[in-house]
Amino acid sequence: MSSEPAGPPGPMPPPPEAEAAPAGLEPVAGERRLHPAGIVVLAVRALRGLVLPLAILILGGSLGAGGGPGWRTLAYGAAGVVVAVAIGVAGWLTTRWSVSDSAIRVRTGVLSRRRTDVPLTRVQSLDTLHGPLQRLFRVQGVQVQTAGAGRAAEIVLSALPAADVERLRAAVRGGAAAAGTERAAEPPPLAERTLTRSALLVAALTSGQLGVVAGALAAVSQVFDDLPLARLALVPDTAIEWVLAGAGLLLGAWLLSILGAIVAFAGFTVSRDAHRLRIRRGLLNRRDATVPLARLQAVLVVEGLLRRPFGLAAVRVEVAGYAQEPAAAQTLFPLLRREEVPAFLEQLVPGLADGLGGLVPPPRRALRRYALPGALAGLLAGIALCFVPPFLWPWPLLLALPGAAHGWLRWRATGWRLRDGRLAIRSRRLARVTVLAPAARLQQHALRQTLLQRRARLADVTVRIGAGTGAAVRHVEAADAGRLFDTLAQRGAGAANVNGGR
Amino acid sequence: MSAGVPTAIPEPSRTLAPAARWQWRLEGLIGVVVLLAGAVVLQVTAGGPWSLLGWAAAGFAAVVLLGVSPELRWRRWRWEVREEEVDLRHGTFAVTRTLVPMLRVQHVDTRRNLIEQGLGLATVVLHTAAGTTAIPGLPVAEAGRVRDRIAELTRTADEL
Repeated sequence: MSSEPAGPPGPMPPPPEAEAAPAGLEPVAGERRLHPAGIVVLAVRALRGLVLPLAILILGGSLGAGGGPGWRTLAYGAAGVVVAVAIGVAGWLTTRWSVSDSAIRVRTGVLSRRRTDVPLTRVQSLDTLHGPLQRLFRVQGVQVQTAGAGRAAEIVLSALPAADVERLRAAVRGGAAAAGTERAAEPPPLAERTLTRSALLVAALTSGQLGVVAGALAAVSQVFDDLPLARLALVPDTAIEWVLAGAGLLLGAWLLSILGAIVAFAGFTVSRDAHRLRIRRGLLNRRDATVPLARLQAVLVVEGLLRRPFGLAAVRVEVAGYAQEPAAAQTLFPLLRREEVPAFLEQLVPGLADGLGGLVPPPRRALRRYALPGALAGLLAGIALCFVPPFLWPWPLLLALPGAAHGWLRWRATGWRLRDGRLAIRSRRLARVTVLAPAARLQQHALRQTLLQRRARLADVTVRIGAGTGAAVRHVEAADAGRLFDTLAQRGAGAANVNGGR
Repeated sequence: MSAGVPTAIPEPSRTLAPAARWQWRLEGLIGVVVLLAGAVVLQVTAGGPWSLLGWAAAGFAAVVLLGVSPELRWRRWRWEVREEEVDLRHGTFAVTRTLVPMLRVQHVDTRRNLIEQGLGLATVVLHTAAGTTAIPGLPVAEAGRVRDRIAELTRTADEL
């Protein structure tokens, strides 16, 4: 299903009318409820929020009872389902929406009532969600994106029948007509790119989202706190067991991230017309989102640990107003060869396109400022490990070496360039990230110099581009940093250039 | 004032209220009290070298947080509101110079916590799409004027 953008991006209009005062919470003419399937959708969403605490309760209950799952487990599970359904019903009962000639209105909220009015002329796009639940009940989830800054979708209607979605689209189109744009039919895209099946597989294999490990470890440690017996049995005590446990965890995380990538990026297609990008993706939840080109602040080329050796990269975009949404929502394309990136950007986001090479690196004398903190961090981690079974003192201290190596890699990856008013900053934490942004789009920039850097004539430059994106180059020549700082301040200097070196 | 990294843009020149030092001292007091409590606990439970460490830490924190740091910080803080941008410079060990273009300021407000209210100070907070930036420790009246001036300057242009 397509989504309907409205109006070309013009000068930034003032934010949409915010929630009315409590006096404005009376019913509005023509209000409707969500489709009853909304109860299920809301309940499932609530259940997802409850899953982790429930799992811990159940695990704790079953292990502590010293046997298999018992009545306690069933009771916890049932209680969770009942709570989720109650939340779903409460949400469904208290949500009402209406659309008139001028605005979309939603009244919602169980404990604190809220009314949101969005004028049709401010609607940027209607994004739809077509997941397995929605398909089952033949409804769609709708997100109304507006031109307001800094918030996720203004209005979320979890389950609407197709007829209501059409009414919304017609109203938004009417609003677009009122705003001065006539759109007969959807124009053919000017540029398009689709992720092939094999590319999807490679992207999934190399996505390496290790954050899952941290979450799993946290959950597991919470269970362990209640179960000393389990702790004795399961905590590894020889070096071999540690290695096996670590490898097992990594493998599990890798498998989960493969699954996650496939579910998120299957059928990924990005296309562009004169004013908007359209991104369709998803295996179970089919998402269709529209992004006005004018709201793109920066492009991030991310070369992850598993992708860099193969010359692959993922491209993300920072979109004004979307920063609270999870990372997948801001992916412009999940996998590309690094050499293809400039041409791809030229086609799809010409306003932000730039080359990836020719960056000015930090000077040689900055290397020890990258390597030493890394070595120190490794050393501290090693010292901490020495106190943990199996007490392998002093071998963990060798962690200082990979720490220093990581610092060296960071030094090699750092670079910056300001050319024709476009800024490029590259840095590395785990992945190597290159941020491309027009200098005129920066939200703020800063120059930083510690006392130690003063003596070495080095300085740091940091920029903030959006709520989710910032970039920093550390330990560059102080003179270059000063000139970069000055040039970035000259807003509107379209052909601004700063060359590195003395 | 030390130059640090030379830039073509003139350095900001306005300072914070002298009372800002007391604001930072009072805010640092909380940390010192926590460390003192910790030192007392160490003395009571462990005694010996550990308790010495606790007292030393508390003493060091007291000197730094209450004596040295607020004075140095206040001496280094500079700010300026120009038509095109807000220019800030602050920091002791690491000097940071920040530039916020006026076009990017979405809105500006003043806030005062309890300590600030007691001292007649206020903080001006600038909101951009990327987050907030603050000028602390201004006298209340001046903070109000700065806020109004920035609000007026941002009204003339409208951008994301």
